[in-house]
Amino acid sequence: MRRRLAFASLRRRRARSLLAILGVAVSGALLLDMVMLAGGMRDSFRNLLLVRGFQLRIAPKGTLPFDTQATIGQASAIIATLRTNPDIVTVSPILGLKLHVPSRNVTTVAIGLDGDVQADYELLSGRPVSGADHIVANQAFLDATHARVGDTLTVAVGYDTPRRRVVIAGIARFFYTAAGELVIAVPLATLQAMGGPMATDRVSLFMARVREGADVERARQWIADKMPRISAISTGTALQQFDQRMGYFRQLAVILGSISLGVGFLLVTTLVTVSVNERVGEIAVMRAIGVSRQHVVEQIVLEGVALALAGTILGMGLGLVTARAFNAILSDFPGLPAAFEFFVFRPRDAYAAMTLLATAGVLAGIYPAWRAASLPVADTLHGEAIA
Amino acid sequence: MCPRFSAVVAGFALVTALAADTARAQSSIAIDERLAAAAHLGVGDRVVLTSEPGVRGDTFVVGAITRRGADPSEVARDGYRIRLHLGDLQRLLGAGDRVSRFAVASTDPARTLARINSVGFGFRAYPSAEIAVRTSKTFRVLRRFHAAIGVITIVASAIFLLCILLLKVDERRRDIAALRLMGVSRTSVITMVVCEAALISLVGTAFGALVGWVGSMVINWHYQGVYHTPLTFSLVTPGILTFAAALSIVLGLGAGLAAATRLVHRPPLALLGR
Repeated sequence: MRRRLAFASLRRRRARSLLAILGVAVSGALLLDMVMLAGGMRDSFRNLLLVRGFQLRIAPKGTLPFDTQATIGQASAIIATLRTNPDIVTVSPILGLKLHVPSRNVTTVAIGLDGDVQADYELLSGRPVSGADHIVANQAFLDATHARVGDTLTVAVGYDTPRRRVVIAGIARFFYTAAGELVIAVPLATLQAMGGPMATDRVSLFMARVREGADVERARQWIADKMPRISAISTGTALQQFDQRMGYFRQLAVILGSISLGVGFLLVTTLVTVSVNERVGEIAVMRAIGVSRQHVVEQIVLEGVALALAGTILGMGLGLVTARAFNAILSDFPGLPAAFEFFVFRPRDAYAAMTLLATAGVLAGIYPAWRAASLPVADTLHGEAIA
Repeated sequence: MCPRFSAVVAGFALVTALAADTARAQSSIAIDERLAAAAHLGVGDRVVLTSEPGVRGDTFVVGAITRRGADPSEVARDGYRIRLHLGDLQRLLGAGDRVSRFAVASTDPARTLARINSVGFGFRAYPSAEIAVRTSKTFRVLRRFHAAIGVITIVASAIFLLCILLLKVDERRRDIAALRLMGVSRTSVITMVVCEAALISLVGTAFGALVGWVGSMVINWHYQGVYHTPLTFSLVTPGILTFAAALSIVLGLGAGLAAATRLVHRPPLALLGR
């Protein structure tokens, strides 16, 4: 009965109810987007860090991986030291340099790595990095150089350094490079040799995998104590740094999420309040014929909840569409890997947004419902009769 | 023990500075004011710089303290900065006769650019304007993102405004019915409602502009502190104000017109509930 009356009341003012639902839908869409932004960005970065299960990054002291062009010297000695720790099961050294392909007038990012323990790419076709001259490239590089798997290219670090012939052995998707960036993976020793004295036995970064069940933080501390000239960064520390750098987006998400929730709340409150004001006579009659206060309150709260719920459901769909559009815009954000996403849908985000809006709907109905239930029946009926 | 700080020099080398060294200073450096504050360094102090921890370094005198410029590409980086004479840095890094880039002033930039780029691989010349565009990409992406959010906000505000005006006009259906029964024309009633809507929109815009201006000041104060930069993050320009006012008035007039037209076309007695 309460439900039927609530819906009848909403149907009676169709244009108004429709506008309210639309308003709540837009607010709900923005709220969902902001909840997705606040948590999804961090999750996306975390997943990216752990894509190959390497929990530790070791970078030159005071820097973040690939944040500067600083490198770590005596890489072999560091690898040997790291291997003495039984908790560290895999160490992947990485050197980043720029390489030129003179014949095609192309400059590319080159990642020097050990093909057996690499954690930078996923092979899509062909063979992995191997030997001294077998490299893998991403599609952007192949497009720019008009090369194919099996082709031989001449590459060099600079115009005054020795050139080297390499064979494209495979095509790969690189995890940590920006969209459209040209990237090749080269055997580490080859790239170090091409880099000359500035690259001899040097790397930009180590990635280390800690054995399952071992304490990652303890391993990180061990590295920090053992080798003070390098910085060991755990996934937790990297996420903290990430939060610091990308804090702007989290703050924006909180501010805009709160505003959209407030707008949705105000909209429903206003509509339900006006609707109650218009129906004071009707409510007084209901009370006069014996309808309980609780019944009146429940009916009016139901109206608010119905508006909020209908708007929320519409808003969830709208939110997913707008999140995709936002992601497409932010995919151009410089320096971020192509696989990184700002808006990641997680069911718990949708539940959170829905719960917040539904709660706002209930709260929005409480004040007008309380007012309606507290009306002095005789006076109201008298006033309505005179009007 | 001397305090130890790490700084990124010219974007390509890690330098560790050890304060209060007693060795004879060879050359001067400029440090940024944040490093000066954190390491308690002042002009005339001597520091030892090394390319990495644990290696023997060179002693320098702090010759100047600099303030970081408003560079969008640097906004999210919170590292310290030291500027050295080129030869000192090359020696410190063992970089020989190498540099990261040249800045070239030319009387014919287009021709110079073409000539340099035709020399061969290993060089790539860019006009300064292109560098500026590339380094401000972060802000251009953010601008597009903000514009997209702005569109959603405008849609939400438009719906909200339409709802409120619809309700306001609806609330006065008895007054409108009385006016119509007294012989006031539909046009006069519509004009009255539209004027009222325009007035509400204007007052709302003025209040919104004030809130926006205060919000803009808070945003600048907050983010300039967070990112240690003099960059202006939020600007309330006459253009933005005009756009907001025009949008608000157009929306208000539209909503007022729609609501009033709907009401005046209903029989006055029906509006009175008879």
